[in-house]
Formats: sequence, structure tokens, C-alpha cells
Amino acid sequence: MLTSQLPPSTHPFADIIHRLEQGGSMLPDTEENLMQIIGLYKAYAVPMDFYWRDLLYIAEQVFLDPLPAFKYFLPQEYLDLANHYAGETADLRIWRGYSTAHQELLDFMAKGELKTKIPKLFHHLYHDRINMEFAEECMRAMFWHRNMGGLLEPYMDSEEYKQNADRAIRAYFQGNPIMLGLYRLFPEMFLEQCRQATMYSVLGLFWEVMAPVFFEMSDIYDEGGFKGVPDAMNFLVNGIFAIAGRPIYHRVNIRGEWFDLVPKAKGFTWLYEAAFPYVEAVFYRTSPFRGTKSYNAQAQEVPTDQNDFHYGVLYADKFPVASAGIPPTLLHQDMYHFLPPYLIDYYQKFCRGKDDMLIQLAVSFQRSMYNVTSAVIQAGRAAFLYPLDDPNPRHLLANRAYFEGQLTRFANPKYGMNKAARILAIQSQNYR
Amino acid sequence: MLSALIWLPVLGALFTGILLPKWAKVSAIATSSIVLFLNLLLLRQFNLGEGGFQLQENLTWLDSIGLNYSLGIDGLSLPLVVLNGLITWLVVCFDREIEERKPLFYVLIFLIHSSFSGAVLSLNTLLFVLFYEVELIPIYLVIAIWGGKQKNYAAIKFLIFTAISGILILAGFLALAWLSGNGGALFDYQALQSVSLPLSTQIILLLLLLGGFAIKAPFVPFHTWLPDTYVESITPVVMMLGGVVAKLGTYGLFRFCVSLFPDAWSLLSPWIALWAGLGILYGAVTAIAQKDIKRMVAYSSIGHMSYILLAAAAGTPLSLVGGIAQMVSHGLILALLFDLVGIIEKKVGTRELDVLNGLLNPLRGFPTISALLILGGMASAGIPGMLGFIAEFLVFQGSFVKFPIPTLLAILGTGLTAVYFVILLNRTCFGKLDNATAYYPKVFRSEQIPALVLTSIIIFLGIQPQWLTAWSETVATQITDRLPSVTIAQTPSPSSFRK
Repeated sequence: MLTSQLPPSTHPFADIIHRLEQGGSMLPDTEENLMQIIGLYKAYAVPMDFYWRDLLYIAEQVFLDPLPAFKYFLPQEYLDLANHYAGETADLRIWRGYSTAHQELLDFMAKGELKTKIPKLFHHLYHDRINMEFAEECMRAMFWHRNMGGLLEPYMDSEEYKQNADRAIRAYFQGNPIMLGLYRLFPEMFLEQCRQATMYSVLGLFWEVMAPVFFEMSDIYDEGGFKGVPDAMNFLVNGIFAIAGRPIYHRVNIRGEWFDLVPKAKGFTWLYEAAFPYVEAVFYRTSPFRGTKSYNAQAQEVPTDQNDFHYGVLYADKFPVASAGIPPTLLHQDMYHFLPPYLIDYYQKFCRGKDDMLIQLAVSFQRSMYNVTSAVIQAGRAAFLYPLDDPNPRHLLANRAYFEGQLTRFANPKYGMNKAARILAIQSQNYR
Repeated sequence: MLSALIWLPVLGALFTGILLPKWAKVSAIATSSIVLFLNLLLLRQFNLGEGGFQLQENLTWLDSIGLNYSLGIDGLSLPLVVLNGLITWLVVCFDREIEERKPLFYVLIFLIHSSFSGAVLSLNTLLFVLFYEVELIPIYLVIAIWGGKQKNYAAIKFLIFTAISGILILAGFLALAWLSGNGGALFDYQALQSVSLPLSTQIILLLLLLGGFAIKAPFVPFHTWLPDTYVESITPVVMMLGGVVAKLGTYGLFRFCVSLFPDAWSLLSPWIALWAGLGILYGAVTAIAQKDIKRMVAYSSIGHMSYILLAAAAGTPLSLVGGIAQMVSHGLILALLFDLVGIIEKKVGTRELDVLNGLLNPLRGFPTISALLILGGMASAGIPGMLGFIAEFLVFQGSFVKFPIPTLLAILGTGLTAVYFVILLNRTCFGKLDNATAYYPKVFRSEQIPALVLTSIIIFLGIQPQWLTAWSETVATQITDRLPSVTIAQTPSPSSFRK
């Protein structure tokens, strides 16, 4: 344990800041927390294995289809698509398992929750499937929020991107005078669709990494490898640095030919173009999902500045999960299908057991995402500031200012952000 | 048959009382189920087209003082007997609140049941008073033993008020018996119907009985015992009190006040109608002001009982059928609402309107209970498609021709009912759960059954009201026939009193 040379912080979340300075996570280091977050990572990884494949499928194949009714019907080609970070063929092997779609995912896709093989369309209509709605909501949040850093966003407004998109649009609608005519009339609309498709690709590439990361963490935990929450967080920090430079790109397959909208050669990287914007958009901001949080534009409860949005996972009220119209419910429903047995047993012991497991796992998910955010905060500190055991007190002060700055986001009284943040709730094991 | 309805529960009570607690429940369920079955059998045996009392039983008892064991049933008492059987069955079979002294609880519930049945089946006024008075003791005990923090206060208050009610009624019946009998006392109800008394005597006797039954129902301003009693009583008891026992007051109104003193009733009816209209408004406005949902439902009960008073005042066949339907409707809806409020209080630990929130939450709230509460509120507010609408509509249609202004006041009261139920539902069911406290235990299926049964009946009779109103059409016509054909005045005038 590190002993701080600094006087105690006077920040409202001083205890948590001290923990971060000790190399810990925002989530307290308890056995229960470790079990919950790792179990959730595993339960999240399986649907995520579908999400990234389908996001890439939509970005690369569906692209500008005006009626994409079957965009969630993933073709075998994408189920067999080799993950770049898993299996024998990996460029950078993170998970020791295989590179094709996870077996639990394939089993679920075959029979669904009904445990009966019926035509895929019926499974789909009955929502007995992996629900892509949440993944798309995340993509839209990343797309909608602006000024989150990175170079991809300005690139998508550049002439070069517009020319790439123009080529792809013309090729995609070749022989379709109606759509080409519409493109001539409303070019910006088509361009915006291309940008959205690019964002599909960005998120797909981000989750292509995260799925094997979470599978590996689950395996390590099952082998008794993690001793506490900080271990799990440090695995993520190390993973972030290992993956940071991996490419972010967008290409489209049109009648067998690949068109680059965002070429790999541009050098956009995973950490800056995908990871940081993802955490910012999905964990902190997202959009005010209907029903998740009561908001009233007329009462000026909706922030005017996108930086002030606070409807992300770290703020979300998980108790209304399962109410109609809340997209995260579908994510929780997805994770519910792949919970490890130890977590199911654990949930049975609390609250209403099986009956409200969806909320209990949602709260565990919130804990696990606080841990991921901690990893990102520590990674930011490691990248831009100083080691935690730096002997220079001025460096430690700089670290503290950074941590306090990060935690102040959860203490901001503007728009009630401090009340919405769940950081204090997750400090207690009784928040379920 | 009618004796079986009274004495079988008493036998069941005796048997249940001597059993071990674990067997007491079985015995109580068996008894209440048999009684309910007998009630259903009674519906089959009852002849709809036949006027007067049916299935009469007469046994000479203390003939020298005029007390005889005379029973009979007609379209007024039949719905109440069946209502009594149903609510008792639900209370006994699905109660989960009673942990201590279970056998005693069942004994007392059966005694309440029997005395209520005895009262509404009595064709002897003294026998009626006997059952009426006997009922007080088990009710006092169930409140005093299993009630809330202020149970002793509530029990004593109930006892005092209802004892006064009993004294007034007894005084009225004794006076009626002495004035009607040729040298002796006449307590036989059917014989009393043919007695003709001077109008001034009728008015005095009517006021005595009206005072007694107004306390029992209760009507404003004799209602002050009700909020305390209902709030302090546990759910099964308040279901019996509000759903069944309170109907003795309105039953007495129809059976004795209107039927035995038709001239006096007609004379006073404009004032009574006005009293009803104001009572309805008072109940609604007071309910709006409440912060405790149980108290709110209790005050709503006061308002809704006044619809029956309005129906009786009007005295048209339609209003009387509506009034009897309202007795059943009020019994079912009030039992439903108290059941649901009881479940919420048990699970959440509070009845405070300012604390409750978000109970429609599908996983952490009580979605079924909340949905049923919404339906109960709708039924109470007289939303079409449910029994509450049918009963209130019949009352309004039947009374508007005679007393338009009190009827309009009553209609306004119905609107206000919607207001306080919207307040209740909005605060209780909607909104978001408090993350710090909303770890409520779930509601079991068996706890939902009474509410589901009551809601089903409320909806079914709302869609098919003929199944309820058909029983009482004949008796309503008979009561109307006894009333003077000419309405004395639409608006009360002091001169009408001097006649």
C-alpha cells in the first residue's frame, strides 16, 4: 500500500480520491464487488460478442440500405469472423479462447430463451434474441455528443471524408436513379448516414477488443487469479495501454469491392477515437432515455451544454429497469441470459431473488462500469501525469488535482448531477 | 336454510375455537367455504318474480315480550347476505396478517358474520336489535386486540358510537311496538308494515331510527368514529367493517325508515336528499385533504354511503334499485381498496402519501397491486364498465327527477372522487421509487387473490349489471308502492313541517 505524502484531500469524495491515490478503484475493494463485476463482465462479454460483429456488419454491409429490416440477422460470415484479439490467429491475443463467435452466444441464438427452435423471425419479433437496440443507442450517443476529443470527429467533416463517402454512396446506389436523385437533392443527409455508419464501425471495433478482455478476466477470476478489485482494474489499465494504438477505420463492402471511408492509413487509434469517446458518451453523458430519468425541458432540467449531460451508466437510476421504453433494459435482458452460476446464486439471496434479478444485475453492471471508468482515469493519469509512487510531492499534487477534477464531475450540483451520480451508492454493498 | 346461514358459522366458530392454531385455519376455511356455497345455493332458490319475504322461518321464542325467531329474505337482504358470505370467505381464506391468537380471530369473524346475517334476515325488530347489538362485541374485540397503535381509543370510540346507535334504534323499535300493539308490544316486521301511525309520531320514531342508522352507516355528521376505527383496524377487519358491517346502517334505512314510516319519510325526504348531497361533498372534499391513503379511503366511504341515503330519499324504484346496488358496489369496492391499501402498508411500512411513490415499478414495486388499485379507484369514481358506475348512475337517474339539486351535488361529488383518486394513484403508483428505501418484499400470489376476485366481480357486474339489479327490482317496487304517490316538495320549505 502506498503512503501518501500529501495532507488529506478536502474534496467531498476525499475517501475515494485517497483510494485512487493508493492505486485503487472508485469501487471499494471487497470480495462481493469483485465477484459482481467479473461475473457481469462475463455476462456482458457474450452479447458484446454479438454486438461488435453486428455493428461491423451494419457498417460494412448494410451501410445505406434505406430499409434495413434485417440488419440484426447476422450472416454466418460475421459469426465466423475472427476476432483480432482472441484465438490462435489473433494479431494481439488477449483471450486465450477461440476467435469465432462464443459458443454460449451460438447456443442462445439457436433456441433463445424459449429453448425452442422456431423460425428466426419469430425469435426476433418476440425479442427472444440479442437486442441490438442498446448497442445502437450507444453508437448514437457517441455520434451525437461532440467535442469529446480525438481526431476522427473533425476528419468526418473534412473534404477527404466527403469524397470517400461520395464514392461509396455512388457505388452503393449504382443503377438506382431514385436514390442517386435523392442524393443529388439531399447530399448532406446521405453524408450524415455515412458518418453514422462510420460510428457503427468505431463502436464495433471498440467492442471487438472489450469482448475478449472481459472473457479473459472471467477466466482469470475462475482460475483464482484476481485477488481484489484493484487487480481487475489494473488488468484493464494494462489492457488499455496494450490496445491503445490499434487502428480505428471504416470500410464498406459494395458488391465484393471494399471502399474506405476512414482508411487505416489515417492512423486513428483505438484509445483516442473509440475508448475515450465511448466512456465519455456512454458512461457519463448518453441521452436522456425516456423513463430512465424524469426530465423536463420546460423546467430547464435538460442541459443546454452537451458536457453537462449526465444520463450515462454512472448516473442512471437502475430501479426502473424493466419498465417499458428504457433501452438499457434490453441490455440487462441480454446479460441476464449469460450470468455465471455464482452470480445467479448470489442474486437469489437478496431483495426479491429471481424476480428482480434484472435490477440487481443492472446495479452490478453499474459497479463494474465504475471500475472500468476507474481504469480509464488511472490510465489517463499514467499517460499524462505521474506514477502513484512518485517521490516528488508536486507531482503527487498534480495527480491529486487530476483525480479531484475527475471526481468533481460527480459532485457538480448543476442540473442535479451530484444527486444523480451513483458514486456514493456503490460505496455501500447494500445498494442492490 | 336461512338458519343455517346464521348458525353454521357459529358452530364453525365454536369448533374452530377449540382447535389448535394450525388446524384452526383449516376449520375456518372449511366453514366459510360451506357458508359461501350455501349463499350461492340461496341465489338458486330465490324466486325473482315473487314479492315479499321468501324462505321464511318462524319459531316462537319469548312470545310474551314479542320476541320471536322470525327469518325471511327478500331482494334487499339477499345481496347483503351474499356479500357477507363472500367478504368473510376472502378474509378467512387469504388472511396473512394474523400471527397471534388465530383461533380467536376466526371465532370473532364468524360471530360478526352470523350477527350480520341474523340482523338482515330478521323479521322481528327485537331480534334485529339483538343481532345488531351482539355484533358490537366481536367487532370491539377484533379492533382492540389486533388494531394499530391507537386501537384502544378506536375500539372504545366505535363501541360508544355504535352503542348509542343501538340505543336509539332500540328506543325507536320499543316505541313503535308499544304504539302499534293493541295493549301488547308488536315487533313482527310484517305486521308493523300494516300499522298506520299519526304523522307526528312517525316523524319522531323515524328520527330516532334515522339517528341510529346514520351513526352505523355512517352519515355526516355522525361519522367521526369511522376514520379512527377504519384506520386503526387491520386489513381483514376493516374489509369486514367497511365492506359488510356498515351496510347494516343503510339496510336499516331501507328496511325500517323508508318502509315503516313512508309518510314521514316522504315529508322529510327533501331535507334528507340535501343532507345526502352535502354528505357526499363533505366526504369527497375531506378525502382530498388526507395524507394517509387509508384515511383517504375511509373518508371516501363516508361520501359514497351518502349516495345510498340520496337513493332512499328519492324513493323511486330506480333509485332504490340503485341504492341496493350501491350497497353491494360500495362493499366490494371498499373491501378491495382496503385490501390493497393494507398490502401496500404491510410491504412498504407506511401509508403516507408523501412518502409512497413509484409502486407501478415492474420489478421492485407492486405492479399487479398498483394496477388493481387503479381499477379500484376507477370503480369508486364511477368509471363506466365497472359496478360503481352502474350503481351511481341508477341512483342519479332515479333521484334526479325528484331532487335535482342534491343529485347535482352528488354528481359533483363523483367528480371530486376522481380528483382524490387521481391524487392517490399519481402519488402512490407513478413517479420513481426512492433508491434508498425501495427494497420492499414482494407480494405473493395468495395475497393478490382477494383483490383479483373482487376486481373480477366489480368488472363482471359492471358489464352485466342485470345479475345484480334483478334481485332487488321487486322489493324496490314494493317499497316505492308504500310511499305516498305525491311528492311533498322538491325543495324543502319550513311550512311543510308545520303541516
